[in-house]
Formats: sequence, C-alpha cells, structure tokens
Amino acid sequence: MLSLYTFILLIFGLAVVLDAKSSSGNSVLVILDPARRPDYSIFFDGLQEKGYDLTFRAPKDETPVLIQDDIPSFAHVVFFESDTKHFAKDITPQTLVELLSGKTNLLIALSQKQNLLTSFAPEFSLILPPPGSSLLSYFPERKENNSVVPIEVPSSSNIISAGTAPVWFSGVPFVLGNNPLIFPILNAPAESFAADAEGITPDALADAAEKGGEGLWAGSQLAVAAGFQTLGNARVAWLGGVELFSNEFAKKEISKGVKSGNQQAAADIAAWTFQESLVLRIDSTTHHLVNTSVPKEHYTINDVVEYIAQISRFNPNKGKWEPYSGINDLQLEFTMLDPHIRTALPPVPGSPGKYAVTLRVPDRHGVFKFVINHKRKGWTYLQSSTTVPVVPPRHDGYPRFLSAAWPYYAGAISTSLGFFVFSALYLAGDARETNLRKAKGAKAQ
Amino acid sequence: MKLLSPLLLLAAAVNASILTLQSPKFTIATKDGQQSRSEPISLAQKPSPLHLSQTDILKLTFQIVDKSSGNGVQPRQVFLRFYDEESGEEGIQPLRVASTGKVKFDLDMSKPPLSIPPTSTAPLEVSLFIGGSTTSTSYSPLKMDLFSLHIPASHPVPPHPDEASFHLLPEIEHTFRPDPKLPPTFISAVFAGAVIAAPWIVLLGLWFSLPSLPLPSLASPSILPFTLSIGAFEFLLYKYWVELKLGDVLFYGAILGGVTVFTGRTALRAVEQRRVGK
Repeated sequence: MLSLYTFILLIFGLAVVLDAKSSSGNSVLVILDPARRPDYSIFFDGLQEKGYDLTFRAPKDETPVLIQDDIPSFAHVVFFESDTKHFAKDITPQTLVELLSGKTNLLIALSQKQNLLTSFAPEFSLILPPPGSSLLSYFPERKENNSVVPIEVPSSSNIISAGTAPVWFSGVPFVLGNNPLIFPILNAPAESFAADAEGITPDALADAAEKGGEGLWAGSQLAVAAGFQTLGNARVAWLGGVELFSNEFAKKEISKGVKSGNQQAAADIAAWTFQESLVLRIDSTTHHLVNTSVPKEHYTINDVVEYIAQISRFNPNKGKWEPYSGINDLQLEFTMLDPHIRTALPPVPGSPGKYAVTLRVPDRHGVFKFVINHKRKGWTYLQSSTTVPVVPPRHDGYPRFLSAAWPYYAGAISTSLGFFVFSALYLAGDARETNLRKAKGAKAQ
Repeated sequence: MKLLSPLLLLAAAVNASILTLQSPKFTIATKDGQQSRSEPISLAQKPSPLHLSQTDILKLTFQIVDKSSGNGVQPRQVFLRFYDEESGEEGIQPLRVASTGKVKFDLDMSKPPLSIPPTSTAPLEVSLFIGGSTTSTSYSPLKMDLFSLHIPASHPVPPHPDEASFHLLPEIEHTFRPDPKLPPTFISAVFAGAVIAAPWIVLLGLWFSLPSLPLPSLASPSILPFTLSIGAFEFLLYKYWVELKLGDVLFYGAILGGVTVFTGRTALRAVEQRRVGK
C-alpha cells in the first residue's frame, strides 16, 4: 500500500515537473488583499494554467515570510497591493533588495499613494511624478475617463508579443533615468501627461514645466511599464498601475468588437519577469590550440587558439533549454587588465548553439582572461571569464636553426666532424712515426 | 498602422464639439526686432522648414475657438511637442492660454526653454496638442503637425558610463611586435659554405700532398668500436641541440660513457701493443 502511495506521489511530482514553465522555479508569492483577488482572476488563472504555484498573502499577514533562514522562500514575488500604506514587518525595501540578490524576481505595481514602493522605486532609476498624479490623456476622443488611457504596444517590443492589441492603462507614469539596467516595456502616448486629475489648467501645467527638468511628466518618454534586470540577472517589472492586470481591463473592448491586449500583455510581462522569455545561458566554454582538441593550462605568446562557447535559450513552451544560435553581436575579449583583443564571436553555421572564434595570442606574457560580457536590454546577461596564463616560449621552444646563424652551425658541425676524422685516423694509423723517427735517427748517425 | 485603427475607431464613437485655430501665425525675428520671416500657418499644408539661429526668436500666435460658434475657448491641455525623429528625443512645452483662447509663445534661442530636447542636425517636428475644456462643453481633442524646425545642435547628452557595454563595442586588435629581421639566406649560405670549405680544402689538400698513409687498423675489431663511440658522442651532442633535454642527454651520455671507457681501454691497449710491444 505504501509503495502505491509513493508511486502516486512520484507520478504527481513528475507531472509538476513537466508543467514547469519558468527557468528559475514555479513558486509565486502574491501580496494582495484576499478580497481583491477575484479582480485579477484572469491573470492568476493564466499563471496557474502554465504551472505556477501561487501563494497569496495579505499585505499585513506575517506569514509566509519572504526570506526564511536567509534563503528566499519563493522564486517570484508579485506586489499587487500597492495602495497599502503599511506592510507586515518583513516587507521592507531591504528585504526586497535581498530577494533580488537571491535571484528572486519581482513584479511590482505602483500606486498614486506614497508607501515603501514609491520610495523604493528611485533606487531603480524610476523618477515618479508628485504623489497623487496619474497619467491623463484627452487623446483619442473616447467615452472613458481621461485617466483610463489606451496605449499601443510598440511593434519593436521583444517582451510583449507582436500583434497584441492596444492595452488599457490607468495609473502612474514615470520617467526612466539613464541607468542602462532599466528599459521601458510600455511607453505612454505622446499626447499624455501626468497630473492630479482635478484642477488642470494650462497655466498650472506651464508653471509645472517651468519648475525644472522634472517639473512636468509628459510625452512618449514616459513609461508606464519598465523592466529592470539586476547584474545578477534577477528581474523586476515596474508597472504604473495594477489595473493593467485586472479582469475589467482584460475584458474591456479597445474598440468596437476588438478586445484589448491587456490579457496578452499581462501574460507576456509576467513571462519576462518570471524568467520564461529572453532567457539565455552559457552552457560551456572551452579553448584549445588550433588543430588540437585538448585545452591547455597555459598558452605561449603567438599561439593560435580557438575559443568555443555553447549557448542555450530557455524554451518556455517545452520547459527545456535549447541550443540557440540567434545572437549575432556576441563579442569575446582577451584581457589582461584591459582587453588586448576584442573580436566578434559568431555562431558556427551548422552546429546549433555553438559560437567559435580563432585568435592569435598577443605577444605579451601575463595572466589573461577570455571574457564574454554580453548585455542587451531585456535579455539575460551572459557573463563568462576563463583565466589562462600566457607565457613566453621555454628555452627549447625557439627555432633551432636560424638562417642568420648558419655559419656558426656549419663551423661547429665541421669542427666535430674534423675531430671525429682525426680520432679515426689517429687510431687507425700505423705506427709509422716510430719508423720515420728511426729512419731519421739512422740518417743522423 | 494596423494597431492604430482600433484607436481611430474608438475616436469615432464619441460626438463632441470641434475646436479649431484662428489666425495661427509664426514670426521669426532677430533680437533687435527685425523680422526675417512671417507666415500664417496653413492647417492643410505644412510650411517649408523653419531655420532658427542662436539669436533668433520664434513667435507663435493663435486663438483657439469653437468651430461652430467662433467663440474663444480655454482648453485644459495646450502642448507643443518637439520631436526629433532620428534620435527619438522629445520635449513637451505646455502653453499658457488666455480665457479668450489666445495663445502667444516665444521661443528665444538664446535662452531655450528646458523642454527643448537635445538636438543634432536633424530637424524637430513641431506639433500641437489641444485637449479638454475648462467649460462644461466637451470638445474633441485636436492634434496637428505645425512645421519642421531646424535649431542649432545642442551638446550631446553624456550617456551613462555603463551604457556602452549594452551595445556592440568597437573591436580591438593587438599590435604584434614585428618579426626580427634576418639577413638574406643567400648570404648566410655563402658564409656557411665558406666556413665549411676553407679549413677542409686546406686539410684535404695537405692530406693528398702527403705520401699515402696506410690505415691498417681502421676496421680492426679492437679500434672500430672506440671510433664509433666517439662518433656516437658527437651525434648525441647534435641531438641535444636539436631535440633532447638535459636529463635524456645525461642518461644516454652515462651509458655511452661506460661503453666508451671499455672500448677506449681496449683500443688504446691495442695501439700501445702495436707501438711499444712490437
């Protein structure tokens, strides 16, 4: 009976594993008031269908904790409860940073009210408008409130799938600082601006603009959803408003008979945040002398070396890593303090996932590194470093016969040969000398 | 464009009063008040691009009126948008509107407003957004492209120091030291030949000038092994130069040395006997 039970457990376990769709784990903690949970059921059901394991926690609940014994308890954390002023005591900016260092991904929705998230956001180079303001737009003319803004999905986006219908948005826009780790996922429309919904007058807006560089939040440089990827490859998605994920907006028509793209956009943003899409990894790197296959512990200056990297991309549909040859701007550096060589590391046609380049080792000896440091916005950063010492040739590593020294070799060989011939003749010769001397002696007498 | 159509459909769904601009006009003047260009803005056709120098002032005036009644309207949002299509940089300048709907905007290039985005040589596309109304009547928002504007290029924005690592970096090639120069091989060969030939010509000449030397024991079993061991030593030294390591040389040398001591004793004893013993 016990064995049957174990068997069922095993089958169940296998099913869970097969369902896995994220490359970094399926446990998700959603911080949300239970009463508001049905408002986002389309989004949550979508996640559960994909195989995510959702745990809900009201913002003031003490459990389940975010970090247990210094180890993050969940692979992903979703902050939908952004209107709350006070959170449970383990939800602090410090814990959130610790979560990111522990490679936990965060999906954070901001609100107009000030709380820990609005003070946390500037750490990610998000510049928020004054509290109480939200994104407004009179364009296009529509029945909805001015603060419910339709936003087109940029066609160049690699996070939200192409062909997604415009999405409804309501919430806070933000300006992105020039930190390269952050990038916009959805930009506000050019005609929109951030203001307190009441009391907008042209003079008030003009006054705001004159206040300084950050006086007026307006135009398409504003973002309403932004992605931030830490150097440790943890991902944070910042959303200007949680309504983007709501059932209300998902069902709302963007125009007669056309459903809004909210459901798709929400799923795509979550897929990026939860390490499903645009996830890469370096499987292996190796190097060897050209025409050999065994890596050397060190190389001699001027050696011709081949460097090979194997790269995979996560396929969320199959839940598997697959060789990926689609990176066309990968670069390899050979560095000692500074790069001595920086060259393209192109994919090898015919072998999926393999990138290779042949280079001549510089004529400087020292401790070098093969470095791959590939960072592109939205994609996992690829980083690899392999240390190899480069040494000058050994005493017997030089050519033995230089043309300039031919006379010296000739002289040495000639002398050796002469010695050998002399020895042979001396040993083989008859004792003629004594005879000669005798003959001489006889003459003298 | 495909994506835009749902938004346009959406726009068509609502009926509201329509706004229009009355006597829109721009003037380019220098600091001392000299007008270099002054034209009414046609909403149907964009004027030829405007060029502003460092000292010019662009004056823009118009009145926002209700199209049907002709009364002045004060909307909530009157924005000028400066957009650089090449770099994607954008600046929004809110305009002040009198309650009669009159708008007057001066762009003084000697003191450009903060809303002007950083520019290069590409022109800025200037458009006007008018939306909302302070009165109870609702108006359709109005959006129009006014003109292209060339202004002096600004200083480029300093990028974040890490920004470069997010793009393709310039390739670096190592400059190798040039190969050491060697004299022509022909000269080396001539001198090598000379080094070999000179002593041997003298030696062989002397050799042949002598009466023939008898070599009775060249192949004698007591002498030949010693001659060969001496030859083997020479060969070992040659191999040492070409490929062998010191350890190998000492090893082979020790073996060969033992053999040579033995063959040497035998050979020298034979010579001694021949010379003295007889």
